Amino acid sequence: MLRYSLRRLLIGAGMLLALSVLIFVMLRLTPGDPIDAYIDPNIPMSSSDLAELRATLGLDQPLPVQYLAWLREALTGNLGYSIKRPDQPVLGLVLSRVGPTVLLMGSAIAIAIIAGIATGIIGAVRRNSIADLSLSVFAVTGISSPPFLSALVGLYLLSVYFNWMPSGGMLTPGREFSVADLLHHLILPAALLAVAQTALIMRYMRASMLEVLNQDYVRTARAKGVFEFWVITKHALRNALLPVITLIGSTIGLAIGGAIFIESVFNWPGMGLLMVDAVEGRDYPVIMGSTLVIGACVIVVNILTDLAYAVVDPRIKVG
Amino acid sequence: MKRLQRLSSAIALAAMMATTAGPAFTGPAQAATLSGGFDVGPGGFQGNFNPLAATGGFTWLSIYFEPLVAYDEKLEKVVGQLASSYEVSSDQLTYTFKLADAKWHDGKPFTAKDAKFTIELAKNAKTGSVLAARLNAVSSVEAEDDKTLVIKLSAPSASLMDALTKVMMLPEHALSQIPADQLAKNTWWSTSPIGTGPFKFSKYVTDQYVELVANTDYRGGKPALEKIINRYFANPAAAIAALRAGEIQFTYVDSNDLNAFNNNQDFRVIEGNSFVVNYLGFNHDSPIWKDVRVRQAVMHAINRDAIIQSLYGGAAKAANCAYIADQVVPKGIENYVYDPEKAKQLLKEADWDEINGNKPITLLTYYTTPLAANVMAAVQAMLAQVGINVTPRAVDTPTYNSIVLNPTPDVAQFQMVYAGLQNGPDPGSINVGLNEKQIPPAGPNVARVRMPVLTAALDAALGETDAAKRDARYQEVCEVMNKELPWGPLWVAKRYGVASSKLKDFVWTPAPGGGPYQAHPEKWTIAD
Repeated sequence: MLRYSLRRLLIGAGMLLALSVLIFVMLRLTPGDPIDAYIDPNIPMSSSDLAELRATLGLDQPLPVQYLAWLREALTGNLGYSIKRPDQPVLGLVLSRVGPTVLLMGSAIAIAIIAGIATGIIGAVRRNSIADLSLSVFAVTGISSPPFLSALVGLYLLSVYFNWMPSGGMLTPGREFSVADLLHHLILPAALLAVAQTALIMRYMRASMLEVLNQDYVRTARAKGVFEFWVITKHALRNALLPVITLIGSTIGLAIGGAIFIESVFNWPGMGLLMVDAVEGRDYPVIMGSTLVIGACVIVVNILTDLAYAVVDPRIKVG
Repeated sequence: MKRLQRLSSAIALAAMMATTAGPAFTGPAQAATLSGGFDVGPGGFQGNFNPLAATGGFTWLSIYFEPLVAYDEKLEKVVGQLASSYEVSSDQLTYTFKLADAKWHDGKPFTAKDAKFTIELAKNAKTGSVLAARLNAVSSVEAEDDKTLVIKLSAPSASLMDALTKVMMLPEHALSQIPADQLAKNTWWSTSPIGTGPFKFSKYVTDQYVELVANTDYRGGKPALEKIINRYFANPAAAIAALRAGEIQFTYVDSNDLNAFNNNQDFRVIEGNSFVVNYLGFNHDSPIWKDVRVRQAVMHAINRDAIIQSLYGGAAKAANCAYIADQVVPKGIENYVYDPEKAKQLLKEADWDEINGNKPITLLTYYTTPLAANVMAAVQAMLAQVGINVTPRAVDTPTYNSIVLNPTPDVAQFQMVYAGLQNGPDPGSINVGLNEKQIPPAGPNVARVRMPVLTAALDAALGETDAAKRDARYQEVCEVMNKELPWGPLWVAKRYGVASSKLKDFVWTPAPGGGPYQAHPEKWTIAD
C-alpha cells in the first residue's frame, strides 16, 4: 500500500511537470500577453515605458529562459507575483482561494454523495414506484441543467425574491467571522452545485444497485432471514458502491468546471473565479500557479479513489 | 442507543440550520455602514490598491487617498483638494500650489515634501506608474516650503491639471525607503496604506471586500458613516442581485439592466456622461478608406438614431466628431443623417466596386457585451444595404490590443474597428487616439490616423496657453474631424449607478477611470 502510494505520487509529480510545460506553451500561443491586458487603450504609455515594464516582468527573455526561471522558483515554493496585482504573491493568492473552493466543492460533493446514494437506493428498491419515477424525473432534469442555469434560478428565487439567503459572497462584510454566517452563505451555492452531481450519482447508484440486488448472494442473504435493511445496506450497497466511487472520483474535474460558474454567479471567492480573472487578464504566474494546484488536487483525488477501492472491496489489492 | 445518538445529531443540525436563518431577517447593513460595489463597471479596478498603477478604480481610491486637485462633482472644472489654491504663470510654465492643512492617517502632517516625492514617483516608469508619459512635460518639482509646491514645465501642457487629478498623494515617510522598482510589489498597499482622505484603510479580505473606517480627524469634518465597505463582485449582475436583495446600497448598473430600478421607490437611478465616444475606426493602413467619400458613405449608411433608440433605450447621444459637449462643438457641422441612397451615390462616385466591391471587411472590437453584439449586427446590416460587406469579430481586450497595437500589424485583421475613446472631461484626452505622433508603438492611435491637418489642430489646442481661447481650438479639432472623418463618430453613451433610497448626500458620477472627483464621502449618510 505504502509503496504503491509513493509510486503514484512520483508519477503525479511527473504529471505536474508535464502539465506546467503544457500550460506554459499554451499560454504563450494565446494572442495577447500581460502587457496587452494591462494597457488601457485611452492612456498613452510610451514605447520606452512599455519596454521597461516588459523587462521588469521578464517577458523580454527567450521562452525557455522564462520557463526555467519559473521552474527554479517553483521548486522552492515561490510561484511568483501576480502581474495584474504585483503586491500579491501567487502562492498567497492561490492558497487564499483553495479553502473557499474546497469548502464549496466539498460541501457540494458531500451533499451529492449522501443525497445521490440515498435516492439511488430508494429508486432501486422501490423500482417502478411513484417514488422511483419522481426521482428519475428529477435526475434527468438535474443532469440536463447547466450549473449556471440552476444557479441563476436559485439565486433569484431564494435570494432576490424571497430574501431567504444571501445573494453572494462568503461572509457578511463588516461583521466578525462566525461559522453560522459562513454556513448561511454556503448553503445555496453548494446545494445548487450539488444538483447535477446528485442526479448523476443517483442514476449510477440506482443502476448499480439493481444489478447487485439480482445477484445470488443477495438472494442467499434473504434466504437466511437477514433483515431487509441489512441486506440492502451491508450486502448490496457495499458492492454497488464500486462504480459510484469511480464516478465520484472522475467528476471532481467536472465539479471544478461547474464551480467556475457557481463562483461567478454567487461571487464566491474561490479558485474558479481566480482562474477566469487571470485568464482574462493574461496573468501568467497566477494561471500557472492555479493550474498546478488544481492539477495536484485532481491527482491526489484519483489516488484516494484507488485507495478507497481497497477499503470497500478487500479483494482489490493495490501495489 | 446508536439510533438515539443519530437522532440527537439530526436535531442539533436542524437547530444550527435554524439559527443560521436568523441573520436573513435583520438588516444586512449595520448602522452607519455603507456597502457598495465601488469597483463594479468600466471605472473600477478590483484588487488594485496602488494609485500609481491605477488605470481605473479611483471612485474607491479617492475615499482614502486624495490628489492635489480633483474635478468638481459635475466634472466641469478642476478644483483644489489637498491644494487649497493654485496659480499658473502667464507663460503656462510654472504652477504654484498652496497646500491645505491636512494630516496623514497616522497623524503626521502632509507637506510639500510628500507632494514632491509623490510626483517624482509618478514620473518614474520603474515604479510601475501608468502616468509617467502624461507627466513628461514636468521638468522640475520643488517644495519651496512646507506648504508651497512649485511645478515647472519644459513646455506648456493644457492637460497637466487633468493628469494631476490622478496623482494620489503618498506619504514620503512611509515609502521613501523602498526602491522604486520594488514599490509595486510591496504589500503596504493592501495591508496598511496611509492616505489623507475622510476614511482610512481598515482591512482587506482577499477578493471579498475592503473595509474603511471613519477618519475622525479629517479636516473637512468627521464623517457621518462609521464604515464604508467595497464588496468585490465577479460581474455587474452579481452586484445587481446583491443590491436588489438589500445587501449593498450602491453599484454601477449597465443601461440595459435599469428596468428593475426605474419607477422603484426603494432605489435612485444616477445618470451621467460616460465621456467615451464610440466610433468606427477606419484602418488608414488599408487603401480602401483613402477616399473621403467612402468614409462619408459609411456615416450616411448607419442609422444612428435608430440604434440609439432601440438598443440604447435612448441613453446615448449621436456624435459628429469626437465631442458632444456644446462648448467644443462648433455650429454648422455636417450631421451625417441616415441616407442610404446618398451613401450608395457616394460609393458609386468613389468607384467602390473597383476599390473593394463585395470583399469582406473585418470589423474588430473588444466590446463583448450582448448590447455590443447587437450594435455590431445592426451596423453590419446597415452597411450591407449600401454594398459594404462587413464581418464583425469580437475578441477579449488582450487579444484586441495584441492585434491593433502591434507595430507591424496584419491590416486584414482589422480593416475596421468598433471602439471607444475618452473625450473628456479634458477634451485633450482624444489626442492619444488621433494624433499622428501616437501611432503604435508610440501610443494608441490604433486606426493609424495620418492626417497632418488634424495633428496640427490637436497640437495647437494642446499648446494653447490662453485658457479663454482653448475651447475655440478644440472646436477647430471638431470641425476637422467632422469634415475629414478620420474615423466614423457614432455616439456617446450614458452610464448609470443605482443607489438605495436610504443613502443620503451620496455623490457618484461615472467618471472615466472612476475619477477622482469631489464626492465628499464625509457627508454620506444612510438612513435606517
